Amino acid sequence: MRRRRSPLAPSPLQVGLSYLALGLASVFVLFPLYWLLITSFKLPIDVNSGPFYLPWVDFKPSLHAWEYVLGTLGPDVRRAYANTAVVALSSALLALFLGTSAAYALTRFQYRPRVGAVVLFVACLGFVVALVALGVPWPAAVGLGLAVFILGLQTLGRRFRRHLSNDDIALWLISNRILPPVVVVIPIYLLFQQLGLLDTRTALIISYTVINVPIAVWLMRDYFQNIPPDIEECAQIDGASRYRIFWTIVLPLAAPGLVATFLLLLVFSWNEYLLALFLSKANSQTMPLMVAAMSGTRGTEWWYMSVIIILMILPVVLLALVLERYIERGLIVGAVKG
Amino acid sequence: MGERVRLKEATPRREGVWVRLVAWLERQASAFFLLPTVLVILAFVLFPLVGSLYSSLSRLRFSDGGLELSFVGLANYRKVLLGSEQIHFLGQPGAIGWVMGVMGLLALGIGVVMYRRYRAGRPVWTWLGQPLLGGLLLLGFAWLFLSRLWPGTHMGTLQTTLFYVLVGTALQYLLGLGLALLCAERLPGTRFFRVLFILPLAITPIGVAYMFRMLTDTGKGPLVPLWEALGWGGFFWVNDPWGARLAVLIGDVWQWTPFAFIVLLAALQSVPQEQVEAAAVDGASRWQIFRHIIFPYLLPASATLVLIRLIEGFKIVDLPNILTNGGPGTATESITLHAYFAWRTLDIGTAAALGFLLMLLVSLVTSLYAAWVLPRARGQV
Amino acid sequence: MINKSLRWWTFLVLLLSFALAQQGRFQGVSINVLTFTGPQIAEPLRRHAAAFERATGARVNVTVVPFSDLYQQILTDATTGTNSYDAWIFAPQWMADFAPAGIMEDLTARVRADTAIQWNDIAPFFREFSATYGGKILTIPLDGDFQMVYYRTDVLRQLGLQPPRTWDDYLNIAQRAHGRDMNGDGRPDFGSCIAKKRNAQSYWMFMSILGGYVQSQGTRQGAFFDTRNMQPLVKNQAFAEALRVYKETTRFGPPDELNLDVGDTRGLFTSGRCALSIDWGDIGPLSIDPQTSKVKDLVGAVILPGSRRVLDRNTGNLVNCTPQLCPHAINGVNHAPYAAFGGWSGGINAKVSAPKKDVAYALFSYMSQPAQANKDVTIGITGFNPYRISQFRDIQNWVAAGFSEAGARNYLGAIQQSLNSPNMVLDLRIPKAQQYQQVVLDRVLSEYLAGQLTIAQAQEQIHNGWEEITNAEGRQKQLQAYLASLGIGAR
Repeated sequence: MRRRRSPLAPSPLQVGLSYLALGLASVFVLFPLYWLLITSFKLPIDVNSGPFYLPWVDFKPSLHAWEYVLGTLGPDVRRAYANTAVVALSSALLALFLGTSAAYALTRFQYRPRVGAVVLFVACLGFVVALVALGVPWPAAVGLGLAVFILGLQTLGRRFRRHLSNDDIALWLISNRILPPVVVVIPIYLLFQQLGLLDTRTALIISYTVINVPIAVWLMRDYFQNIPPDIEECAQIDGASRYRIFWTIVLPLAAPGLVATFLLLLVFSWNEYLLALFLSKANSQTMPLMVAAMSGTRGTEWWYMSVIIILMILPVVLLALVLERYIERGLIVGAVKG
Repeated sequence: MGERVRLKEATPRREGVWVRLVAWLERQASAFFLLPTVLVILAFVLFPLVGSLYSSLSRLRFSDGGLELSFVGLANYRKVLLGSEQIHFLGQPGAIGWVMGVMGLLALGIGVVMYRRYRAGRPVWTWLGQPLLGGLLLLGFAWLFLSRLWPGTHMGTLQTTLFYVLVGTALQYLLGLGLALLCAERLPGTRFFRVLFILPLAITPIGVAYMFRMLTDTGKGPLVPLWEALGWGGFFWVNDPWGARLAVLIGDVWQWTPFAFIVLLAALQSVPQEQVEAAAVDGASRWQIFRHIIFPYLLPASATLVLIRLIEGFKIVDLPNILTNGGPGTATESITLHAYFAWRTLDIGTAAALGFLLMLLVSLVTSLYAAWVLPRARGQV
Repeated sequence: MINKSLRWWTFLVLLLSFALAQQGRFQGVSINVLTFTGPQIAEPLRRHAAAFERATGARVNVTVVPFSDLYQQILTDATTGTNSYDAWIFAPQWMADFAPAGIMEDLTARVRADTAIQWNDIAPFFREFSATYGGKILTIPLDGDFQMVYYRTDVLRQLGLQPPRTWDDYLNIAQRAHGRDMNGDGRPDFGSCIAKKRNAQSYWMFMSILGGYVQSQGTRQGAFFDTRNMQPLVKNQAFAEALRVYKETTRFGPPDELNLDVGDTRGLFTSGRCALSIDWGDIGPLSIDPQTSKVKDLVGAVILPGSRRVLDRNTGNLVNCTPQLCPHAINGVNHAPYAAFGGWSGGINAKVSAPKKDVAYALFSYMSQPAQANKDVTIGITGFNPYRISQFRDIQNWVAAGFSEAGARNYLGAIQQSLNSPNMVLDLRIPKAQQYQQVVLDRVLSEYLAGQLTIAQAQEQIHNGWEEITNAEGRQKQLQAYLASLGIGAR
């Protein structure tokens, strides 16, 4: 099934205008990157004494920054690189998996959590916090809170009839992203300290997964909504289980969305700074820390920083090159289905 | 041999368990799809939330053996809203005659809308509830914003943040939509552009900020000759509040337009090509096709995208921090940066109070958005 | 004959056993040291740590975080009981927060027992003020930080002017030099480059200007608060005059000076675009580095300019210097060099095990000993500036590093003059010092420079902001901390 050419063939003028717009946008995107690239080959004195644009014409390119970053800093950079790759890939996959299933659930099932139950839950939570603050050991407090909650759910919870909807759940999920990280970073630090996970990749993977899941849910929800449910219904009649339908029918149909979402989740964890700063000491430092580190008391070392940023972009570019085609493939499936 | 026989005998019973298990899993599918996410979030979000809420009500001290949080009630909030940080946060209002005029017009507009709703026979509590509340909120925002635009007044971190978020989100959406539409046209070479336009996302926000610091340098930046050729040699963006804000905004747009681009590009793939072609055959113009066929398919994704960018945009911190450190004066300082500055000196109480005020603000904006825009965009109204 | 060789053998055996003992001294102990990233500080730390490991058998792990987050990292790690770092290299200014939190090991006894460190070779200011808090030695100095004024010798010669002695001289030179092409690229250059970026180093530059107006009777007089009642020394003519001078320098600076931090001004100065600059000791070694500099041998340094009129603390007015009022004045000008930041120092976590403390102390002592330190301060990349008396004696050390002899003498002369000044201004070292300086002073200064505030409004806001913090923390407590930092009897 090859794509057919649209009968609405654009006129040469329209094509020209399109390319003009694309070209302008490319300049806007590329020029900063070009500047980054040539800065990585400049000596400090060439950076500081005025704009120079063309290597070999304006200034003599030098490999000093690359030598420093890959040589002197080599072990640090390699470690940070490995950390970043492991953490970003794992957390992006985890968040994608969790988020996709939750998004599917929120588009295909009706949830009706009772307001009473939610309020009760929050109240019990406050109860537990108060207990812990009063010095009760936390496992006991959590157990007690849970008991009260279940008890309350059986009795009180049934008396309140108002329901929340799927949209409310989705909104609650995304609302977890509202608070700026600066505010929560110290409690998070304490949390992982208690869990004994400071300075491990696990801590970063967990945090990034939690932070990014809501985004995955929201993005995937829209892609699922555009997939008509009839195919699934047919499959269900044929006796396929929900899980099977999800895995073999829905996910392939949502491939463009999955790829786009995965790319986004990946770059979010790839680039995160503040939590990485706090949750890692020596072993699990990631690349964004290396970038920030190039600004010391001597001022910013633009040449080194440029090298590190370029090193950071490269794998993402490669991945985007590989995955980009899948954003389109969904269209073919869509055409089959249509 | 005997073993195999026994195994064969055992199979039916095992299958029974298996079948029952499958059936149970099938019945509980709705829970199994959603619960993991909810539980993971609950487990790792609640403690930080409660912890930071408590720290916003306390002051940090160092005493022998470590740090100590002493409870101070609402003192941190008072300081930000009424005390020494008030002008920093809320700005310095000025001559407000014309502001009152504009506000009056706005109020009138809202009044008319509400009256029409009332006449249309909507239940009383509805028009007393959401629209009234929303209207008042809108009026409040408008006043906070407009009264700080007069010469001699200046904006606080609240207004600056709102400016970044509202203008930035709009620009990112429009640019991202334009680029996505261009790239969805099957012109030769669009694959190259697709990858290209995703690139800015791949750079860590701190890196983007440093990069723009380099680019916008008024002494050794690459744009200096261009700037001078345009005859603007005497204007330096860093010394001008709006110039500096614009620089921050451009950096923000540069980095986040790709987000809109990639989401919309993926959403465009769900537009049924047959409908588009049929309409084209029927002689519909490109604008008509976009407006009536393509755009409706983009609406849900657009609504989500804008919501996410609204929420994320409010947290803008790296760009103003690195580009201008909030300067000149406090002109480019966002609320998160304000909190960050306090936090860096371990004034955790003030930082948390600012964070929760921001949360309040974002929740208001989000609820308005969720109540008015989302259902329409998703075709539920 | 036999006797002689026996003696040799005994000597050899003794030497060997001593070396072996040294070798095993810290065998199997490993410590984590935290400092900030960047070639500076981390480079010499890693280099010396490697040699130290070979000599003692200890393991030294160096962790680095960005400079702007170092303070936070040390405090969160140590006060939450995580204690993943055994020692830190940090700014002694932070001691005011670290010491009351009880996270700093008292090093007094160790220093007293250590002859190799040559404690008395360290300049008195760093020994008595920088390393000491409340009568105890808490840090080992590895670096000497205070600000100076740098000038272009060639530009001043062309203009027929002398290096600045007062801030009026400074403004005069800046005005005359502003707009000249000073590096031959055909573009007009700037009279004065001062880092004025917000939330960076700008408030230190301002304090450098203020010092000469406000402190005249020696370090113990203090430049931030009245030592009698903790009233800020803000609402007075001295502060107003310093604000005026500070803003005036902007007229002769780069147009985007409000957005320059010290890295930018250093770049501008070493690429030959500025006639004057206020900076730490770094410009000296940077100016001889061919990778960064166009001004090799064209840079002069001088003690921070001062004032002929100083603050009368009873009236709040500026009055002419008298021998009683300005006992340390030079030719009638009161100089008050400013030990901004205080110089990188090593401190040890009080909560870690004794062997780790021993290793950490031995490492810092090793790094500070003249054999290591005197070479480090001549190397630009270390970021270490002179702080030992012996570092001024051996000019050859500096010539070997690339200075011309005259250049080295001039640079060291300015440092020595500052270091020997009994009127050095000590940086603010009381609890919440960061809030006084970074939150209040820094913000108000930037709003003043941006034209949002007048001089009087700026003074008012700084005064109120500082009073608010003082009152919240407790005036008496803050006053005593302030007195303790100035070395006045810890009551």
